Amino acid sequence: MQPTQELSGYLEEMAYQIRRLSVEMITYGKWGHIGGSFSMAELLAVLYFHHMRIDPDAPKWEARDRLVLSKAHGSPALYAALALKGFYPIEAVYTYCELDGIEGHTDMTRTPGLESSGGPLGMGLSVAVGMALGLRFKENAVARVFCILGDGECNEGNVWEAAMSAAHYHLDNLIAIVDYNKVMAKGFVWDLMGIEPFAAKWRAFGWDVIEIDGHDIPAIVQALHEARWVRPAGRPIVIIAHTVKGRGVEMAEFNYKWHTQAPEPAVADRMLRELSRRYGRAEEGYSRLHEDDAKEAFYAGE
Amino acid sequence: MPENDNNPLEMRDAFGQTLVELGAAYPNMVMLDADLNTSSKAVYFKKAYPDRFIQVGIAEQNLFGISAGLALTGFIPFPSTFAVFAARRALDQIAISICYPNLNVKIPGSYVGVPTSRAGASHNCIEDIAVMRALPNMKVADAGDNADLRAIMHTAMKTEGPVYFRVTRYTLPVLFGPGHTFAWGKGELLREGADVTLFGTGLMTGKCMAAAEILAKDGIPAEVIHLASIKPIDRALIAQSVRKTGCAVTAENATIVGGFGAAVAEALGDVYPVPLRRIGVQDQWLNSGGVDALFELHKMQPPHIAAAARAAIQAKLSPEAMKGPGS
Repeated sequence: MQPTQELSGYLEEMAYQIRRLSVEMITYGKWGHIGGSFSMAELLAVLYFHHMRIDPDAPKWEARDRLVLSKAHGSPALYAALALKGFYPIEAVYTYCELDGIEGHTDMTRTPGLESSGGPLGMGLSVAVGMALGLRFKENAVARVFCILGDGECNEGNVWEAAMSAAHYHLDNLIAIVDYNKVMAKGFVWDLMGIEPFAAKWRAFGWDVIEIDGHDIPAIVQALHEARWVRPAGRPIVIIAHTVKGRGVEMAEFNYKWHTQAPEPAVADRMLRELSRRYGRAEEGYSRLHEDDAKEAFYAGE
Repeated sequence: MPENDNNPLEMRDAFGQTLVELGAAYPNMVMLDADLNTSSKAVYFKKAYPDRFIQVGIAEQNLFGISAGLALTGFIPFPSTFAVFAARRALDQIAISICYPNLNVKIPGSYVGVPTSRAGASHNCIEDIAVMRALPNMKVADAGDNADLRAIMHTAMKTEGPVYFRVTRYTLPVLFGPGHTFAWGKGELLREGADVTLFGTGLMTGKCMAAAEILAKDGIPAEVIHLASIKPIDRALIAQSVRKTGCAVTAENATIVGGFGAAVAEALGDVYPVPLRRIGVQDQWLNSGGVDALFELHKMQPPHIAAAARAAIQAKLSPEAMKGPGS
């Protein structure tokens, strides 16, 4: 299933907006993870603006698809996608990490559209397995459960407990997506803890594997279509999406220093200007450049 | 309660039978097991409702994560494992996947405290009360007998949100009649007395009753209050009793560090401080041994509770003794 040029263009715009809003909220909230938000911008754009069956006006619709963000530190990108989708006003992203605002890591009780709460790595796939089992108990054959994992997160033993059980229970309504961005909090995956041969590990655990370029929008559209409509045959499906951590702004690309770091307003301004140039747009900087000066001087570094 | 007083069931069997009762009443109840169902007695549910029984293998982190997902799709999961694995191995999953979003999961912690005995320190769970009550949204209970356990489980099903309750592998003396009910934050006055209050939870309440008998023979009237609901705890009843008695002893089948005695001490400190002695495992590992030998070793038998009561009374009467040993 190849997307039309019009659809691809729309999804690219959404990925751009997800990146912009991620920088805006991390800068204004003075905390957050740019690298891991940028690396899954296209994945979230295709999921939320094309593939997933969800309705922001009926967030608890029984037949909806569910997404568990296991790499919950990527929350800015997800919050951006949910705001753009209409779960809450765009303005709400400026409450990120503030009292009574949207939480640093995911808190489903505080943000409409979130399907789970998280933060500690390695836990989300188990929650997704439980949802997929629950939907099967209810004979809900329509809904799918998606779970986005990080590559470094797959160091966690809990991931493989969940993987083993998903295959044991033949959960082909479960689609895991690994944002394989090659960089962990303090360096490259292969330096800190090698995970290769990665696809072979998932296959050995009984999963069907699709491997794609996670920034290639038509490839993501095609992979999700396959995972939903073509592949299901009694095995859970994992899409290994090869991505670039920090993709979109040169200083953050493949740079672990931008795993956790809130840019100072002037840096955010440069980042956003670069981003708009990359997307071929008129240069547009940080929207709250001056308003920010009045806030407390706290910048969470790496 | 299907129980014969002359031949009472082990608490874990009462647990298994109550699961079956609840399973009939709640079609959305599901049982999860990590390869321990014939020990925990989750097997009763498995036999009655095989379609609602989920085996996850020896993977406790996954056990609680899956339970969160099932709760999020409208089920009431009972993830069952030994208390040590809930309180230690899977604590993060219970905290963040279940308690943080306030999900409707009921967690039975099996094989708690001294009666697990011969398995040794790795399996004799002493820290679960302290650990579980530290989690926001979590409610914690330890039953005094089988009727109490059944009442706790029925109330837990009617309670929205996470619940942790203890199940021991032991036969407890009967404390309550068949019409017994349980409410969160509500203690039970079992015996009135003026000189000292014995606050018990779980199987230790029965030992507090025996201790009160010992004290009565010496002319010391002891009050006994059962606090199955450890969180929330009945602060009003605690304060009301110690205003009268002026001193207290707590007794728990667990470590005294951060556990039930600590919860009572917090309540006393906040509302009405009085001399307090705490019976339980004193910051040690609960190594292998026979059940009675372990109760003796850790000074958790009725005579030990009675001695602690005398010490508390002494402290009340003499400010010097307030300081206690080592001060």
